[in-house]
Amino acid sequence: MSEYTVVGQTVARVDAVEKVTGAAQYGADVHPPGMLYGKIVRSKHAHANIRSIDTSEAEKLPGVRAIITQDDVPSGRRVFATDKVLYLGEPLAAVAATDPDIAEEAAERIKIDYEVLPVVQDVMEAIKPSAPRLHGDDTKDGPSRREISGQIRTLSRDKENDHSDEISKLEAELENYPDEVYYNISAESHTEAGDVEKGFAASDVVVEDTYVIPRVHQTYMEPHVSVASADSSGKVTVWASTQGPFAIRSGIAGTLGIPLTQINVIGTTMGGGFGGRFGVIITHVPAVLLSQKTGRPVRVQMTREEEFTDGRPAPGCVIKLKTGATNDGRILAREALAFWDSGSVSGASIGSTIRVRGVYKIPNLKVDAYGVHTNKSGTAAYRAPGAPQAIFAGESQLDEIAERIGMDPVKFRLMNMREEGDEVPAGGSEPKVGYKETLEAVADAAGWWDREAGENQGWGVAVGDWTNGCGPGGVYVSVHEDGSVRIFHGSMDITGTDTAISQIIAEILTVPYESVTIRRGDTDSAPYSTGSGGSVVTFTMGNTAKLAAEDAHRRILELASERLNTNVDNLELKDGAVHVISAEPPKSISLGELAAYSLSTTGGPIVGKGSFARQASTPALAAQIAKVEVDPGTGRTRVLKLVASQDVGFAINPMAVEGQIEGGTVQGYAWAMMEEMQYGEEGNINPGFVDYRVPTSADLPTVESVIVEVPAPNGPYGAKGVGEPPITPTLATMANAVKDAIGIRITELPIKPEKVVDALKSNGH
Amino acid sequence: MAKLPVNLTVNGDEHDLLIEPRKTLLAVLRDTVGLTGTKEGCSTGDCGACTVIVDGKAVTSCMVLGVTASGKEITTIEGLASDGELHPVQQAFINTGGYQCGFCTPGFIMASKALIDENPDRTEEEFRHALGGNICRCTGYTKILEAVLKAAEEIRTTA
Repeated sequence: MSEYTVVGQTVARVDAVEKVTGAAQYGADVHPPGMLYGKIVRSKHAHANIRSIDTSEAEKLPGVRAIITQDDVPSGRRVFATDKVLYLGEPLAAVAATDPDIAEEAAERIKIDYEVLPVVQDVMEAIKPSAPRLHGDDTKDGPSRREISGQIRTLSRDKENDHSDEISKLEAELENYPDEVYYNISAESHTEAGDVEKGFAASDVVVEDTYVIPRVHQTYMEPHVSVASADSSGKVTVWASTQGPFAIRSGIAGTLGIPLTQINVIGTTMGGGFGGRFGVIITHVPAVLLSQKTGRPVRVQMTREEEFTDGRPAPGCVIKLKTGATNDGRILAREALAFWDSGSVSGASIGSTIRVRGVYKIPNLKVDAYGVHTNKSGTAAYRAPGAPQAIFAGESQLDEIAERIGMDPVKFRLMNMREEGDEVPAGGSEPKVGYKETLEAVADAAGWWDREAGENQGWGVAVGDWTNGCGPGGVYVSVHEDGSVRIFHGSMDITGTDTAISQIIAEILTVPYESVTIRRGDTDSAPYSTGSGGSVVTFTMGNTAKLAAEDAHRRILELASERLNTNVDNLELKDGAVHVISAEPPKSISLGELAAYSLSTTGGPIVGKGSFARQASTPALAAQIAKVEVDPGTGRTRVLKLVASQDVGFAINPMAVEGQIEGGTVQGYAWAMMEEMQYGEEGNINPGFVDYRVPTSADLPTVESVIVEVPAPNGPYGAKGVGEPPITPTLATMANAVKDAIGIRITELPIKPEKVVDALKSNGH
Repeated sequence: MAKLPVNLTVNGDEHDLLIEPRKTLLAVLRDTVGLTGTKEGCSTGDCGACTVIVDGKAVTSCMVLGVTASGKEITTIEGLASDGELHPVQQAFINTGGYQCGFCTPGFIMASKALIDENPDRTEEEFRHALGGNICRCTGYTKILEAVLKAAEEIRTTA
């Protein structure tokens, strides 16, 4: 029996009725009077110099109210391309018109004169000296050259001694690595712990492979949209479908030179985000500019095709990975070299390459990662950004090692998993996390230990780790005269977080969950809140909500102490009333009575305030097992069973937690098996759901979820952020299951049927 | 562009409208009738977010021109609850957690209702295939199927 009455229980979400009746208001549902429709004019080439932009024909079209280009951006920050476009679909201008069809027609009438340039889409081509260069000075040294150059720098700094001989020797050695000067590099990241060379030398088995993970789109169902309204006083209101209204506010302020107090961002109900809904310039800035220019509200809404060409998807990458282990199953060393496809701007989550270390005791680790420019749109976060890619490589290779040393893949992982107090390679000391419990739970639930596989069937297992983020947030709680409770805050509900916040406050104020209502504010009226990404909300806002409720709780006891004429130490809040402890006959006063009484006191109404910024969070583990059947004729893989467990710390709303596990797992499945943004000479070639397949209910069986609860010390009631971890292991889970079924390791995702058929053919089937 | 007269019955209310021939039924419902519960997810008939029921059949309203729906009876998500009571499909989606962001939910509920009306005895596998035209990105479909099967069972037993 739980010691809690509201948290830990499955409750219907606070937004249940509005979401099943069509009443919830999403971005495109906002329609202020006089609204115009914006349309972005996009490049038709992936790489080209712009000779001229001619808007005259578009201006003549009746209904066109404004056309803007980069000349209209006061800060000069790149919103529209001017002299050069770097990817297909890059914005060049925007139009506002009285009707969406007129806006579209006007956009087509704008004449762009292009001088087409050579295109580079593949990261491994982009790093070569022969590749077209997207930006100026962007060459970097690879790992070996870096090491040698570092030694040269150290020696040159020593002015006391003469090292000229050593230096010239090292300089000559540099010549041995001509391929290690990389071009089109946007960023780099390097980590080292122990000595990998020694680790490999001491290993009985060393496996080396190259893993290729495609660029995929978050594919939230609601395309990007914003509605902006600039009034004659200069005040700007933006209805934005975004994960972070406060970030959008500061982004607009910085780009357009508008004071923060003159911008109000109203976050509309969000039709999915998954990390891809933080961008400022995609629709919000053009909408504000068009509204400023026309004096009317303007909606800028992307089509699904525009989402694919100019969204900010998850980066693809190429990871060269090497792992060494002993015959008795100890992992001794791991080395990674990764190239992340960052697109036209930097921003790919290259730091996540470190996730190849997994949750294992690896004494020697070396990770080198580079972000690479290609002629594609920039990238953004997607559910545990960077982790699914790195973990795909790491967990695929673990199975290869397990196979070579003849160990069961689950046992091999259990044996190498870190325990509390163990050193994390390049990362401090391990806290208490349910790594083994979570893997054991999924193995038991899936029937791993007595698994059977028919012909062409196979089983795969993998684990993935992730740690929720944390950020600043504020919450107010107000108790009304009828005993009901109102919550005010500024974070966007990311599928269930408002419900979790409400549950926490109901728990502390001992009122029924139904009597708590939550009001999400705009940036004008709500306290600051960090964006809803990085699994931060339940951790951050849950803690903030707790503080606010505890603050209200203090005031409630203070009022009751006045009313009941006794010290607060003799009082307890229970079932929505304050009771005098062990009073005979019982003596109590209800929350409603106290709230009514508070209005005539010196101290005033019951208002609780919570403000919170940072606490260390605890890693979470997701462990999954799949059973598949591969049709050797068609190459199609059918999932027979998909079981997902996760250490969630504490499940505040178990049904919502299961929903996160199931949804994340299916997104991981899709990345493994079907999704891939494809690029040709002229950019993205599959910008729609016919060619970019996402899973439907027909593709999958029921996902079985298993909740494991090892409390996080600083989480509210021990809770961890649950949204991101479940996508992290699935790519490898699927690849490992396919390997088990057909005996061939596929290292390049997605595992589409044609790839399986090709693999079988080239292996003599 | 010249507009044409169109007569639509939406959730029982009659609307006499003048519509440009190029406007889709989805655009008419959202922008002219003002019912925004029906969502636009792709505009190419691939995601099912815009599903409404036209003369008893589930259709993707982004693939229908508004003028061709003249004289037809249309039910949208806003017309499903009656007398303040949620429809069993809506209630089942709440009870099982069959929605998350909610953007695909109106389309899923309308498609499910039409399928259950047609044949509530489908198996889970049959419902999985029949709902293959609706995309949900949040739930992984497990809880949606649970909702649809629950609603079908309830409708079957109360019919």
